Amino acid sequence: MSDRIAIAMSGGVDSSVAAAMLKQAGHSLIGVTLKLQECQDAHGSKSCCGVDGITRARDVAGSLGFPHYVLDCVKDFEQLVLLPAWQEYASGRTPSPCLHCNERVKFGLLLDWAARLGIPRVATGHYARLEKDEAGRPMLLRGCDTGKDQSYFLAGLSLDQLDRAVFPVGHLRKPEVRELAKAQGLPTAETPESQDACLVAPGESYAEMLRKHFDAPARPGEIVDETGQVVGQHDGFHTFTIGQRKGLPAGAAARRWVKAISPRTGQVIVTSDAGELVDTEFLAKQVNWLAGELPAQPLACSVQVRYRHASEPATIVAQSDGTLHVTLKTPVKAITPGQAAVFYDGDRTLGRGWIG
Amino acid sequence: MIYADYNATTPLDPEVRAAMNEALDVTFGNPSSIHSAGQAARRLVDRARAQVAGLIGAAPDEIIFTSGGTEADNLAVLGVADAATARGIVTSAVEHKAVLDPCKYLQAKGHSVAFLPVDRDGRVDLAALEAAVKTDVALVSLMLANNDTGTIQPVAEAAQTAKAAGVLVHTDAVQAAGKLPIDVNKLGVSLLSCSSHKIHGPKGAGALFVRRGVHLTPLAYGGRQERTLRPGTENVPAIVGFGKACELARARLDADARRVAELRDHFEKQILARISGTRVNGGGQRLPNTTNIAFPQLDGEAITINLDMLGMAVSTGAACSSADKTPSHVLLAMGQTAAEARSSVRFSFGRDTTDEEVDRATNLVVQAVKILREARP
Repeated sequence: MSDRIAIAMSGGVDSSVAAAMLKQAGHSLIGVTLKLQECQDAHGSKSCCGVDGITRARDVAGSLGFPHYVLDCVKDFEQLVLLPAWQEYASGRTPSPCLHCNERVKFGLLLDWAARLGIPRVATGHYARLEKDEAGRPMLLRGCDTGKDQSYFLAGLSLDQLDRAVFPVGHLRKPEVRELAKAQGLPTAETPESQDACLVAPGESYAEMLRKHFDAPARPGEIVDETGQVVGQHDGFHTFTIGQRKGLPAGAAARRWVKAISPRTGQVIVTSDAGELVDTEFLAKQVNWLAGELPAQPLACSVQVRYRHASEPATIVAQSDGTLHVTLKTPVKAITPGQAAVFYDGDRTLGRGWIG
Repeated sequence: MIYADYNATTPLDPEVRAAMNEALDVTFGNPSSIHSAGQAARRLVDRARAQVAGLIGAAPDEIIFTSGGTEADNLAVLGVADAATARGIVTSAVEHKAVLDPCKYLQAKGHSVAFLPVDRDGRVDLAALEAAVKTDVALVSLMLANNDTGTIQPVAEAAQTAKAAGVLVHTDAVQAAGKLPIDVNKLGVSLLSCSSHKIHGPKGAGALFVRRGVHLTPLAYGGRQERTLRPGTENVPAIVGFGKACELARARLDADARRVAELRDHFEKQILARISGTRVNGGGQRLPNTTNIAFPQLDGEAITINLDMLGMAVSTGAACSSADKTPSHVLLAMGQTAAEARSSVRFSFGRDTTDEEVDRATNLVVQAVKILREARP
């Protein structure tokens, strides 16, 4: 039964092409679309992206000739992804829900569900590659399309999860994926990009959507400069993130950035000195290390501190408590608590930690 | 593919298709028009009405065509509730959602609704019914046969009890029609719903039998069709197909029922013998084509999907509820735990099922169970 694969289908072009490739390779395939929200929860969004996705995925599966099912994950997604994300915002941090979704939902719930069906592996349309090391352990590599590489979002998967994952489009570039979709006449060939837009209505911030979803109070407060002088008021610190410029009052200083958020006082601390935003060291916690034991000696590697970030050379030193002390070769702007730090050796993903 | 989900829907009979083609291509008129083209269409609808009436022992003028079984059930429940002075509704916990949901709607609007319990076989408690119809009840709605388990309800006895209390009786015969002989007079019901696509007719047609003298409020307004109880231009091709399907079902009912019961019994015996721990849900008198089997420790949905991958179509319950994870309300009402109910699969055979298919079906179920038992926990 090792040829049986469940492909997670969002209704986008990447997972559609991934499905077509697996079908052509002769796998016994089922398509699964995860239902992540109830339509009425769309908070004024004009279209229900979840339902559109289900319809498109079903269309693709039907045209390729394999069965398609909808797995209702609404309650699990709320508990495993949305609630922790809101708790991060509510404590002045900036969450990384896409990593949680991959770790707990796509390669958590879905992988378990498929395993119970006797389907050992789950495929997705992620731009990442898998290879085996000499010992036969899986290695997670960056996708060949450097602009689309999604290994960052997958770096929290365990070796066992990676062992059961399949990323059929990881060695392709996006234009090639679109070409394949067109050549095969897939109904999703022209689907627009919906990168990580899960659940967000146009014009609304993810943080504000979550606050409304959990019916949590906003925490308004002061905007203060580094000296503690009040320069304005805000409607809730959850809408701010480190390094942000938008939404800050204009002052004597032409430009201001968020430097820190204090959930205790409710204050958003701003700076007009861009130099104040950079850092050369931080701690990465709850580390998921994919390359054997945590390094006993300082290790030179590269680190990516957010998704849209070119990785930077760094040295990491494992602490006795399992956290990693990261020293960057050159200072990096807006290292944000709650975001994932992902470590690489060239294209190989070494592991992920949460920025403390 | 082996199709073992006849309770969800059935393939169109070729004779039904031929009858519909005439209505689609030649006799396209509006039955309400006074000219000859309209009259030709009217004659087709008249003939279909007589064919439907013939299947259930009714008079043609007691047949109201609807869009299907769900609309017929809604018209019966909501129509009686609105027209009657009594405020109560009595139904059972194992009805199809097409009866349960309008009853819940009425409950939310202030009507008192009793959902009668059933025993472990799935049969309604007649003593509870007798107690429930005593005060201020307008309607008893009790299905003739259950879609999930095939259990046949004591509708004639219930109707006697209700009649004695002066209460109207509706029966949802969507699953029973064409599988059991039905006579509305022997049953003693005032209203009966049936559906075309469960008996090899097209989707989009159904009927409500409304006994002469029974007063209903329509769900929609805007025309004099169907005695104003169901206004709007008739879906002539579907109605014609439905009529033909009823005629065919009536002609072959006894032979079909005997043959399919043998297939079902053979299948059931094979599964119980070859797969340890399995048991049949529901007991007493059952529809000849249906078996609902529990596979303890396994998940019915997982069996259904594995059988789909192996080329066999079955169901874990009513087709409308396959999207949500809640187990069959029918099995829960029969006193099963959620885990027991989730381990169950419905197999329903029909007119086109062959001996050879049933043997292959047995092997596929054994294979699916083997896959699941070997699956990573």
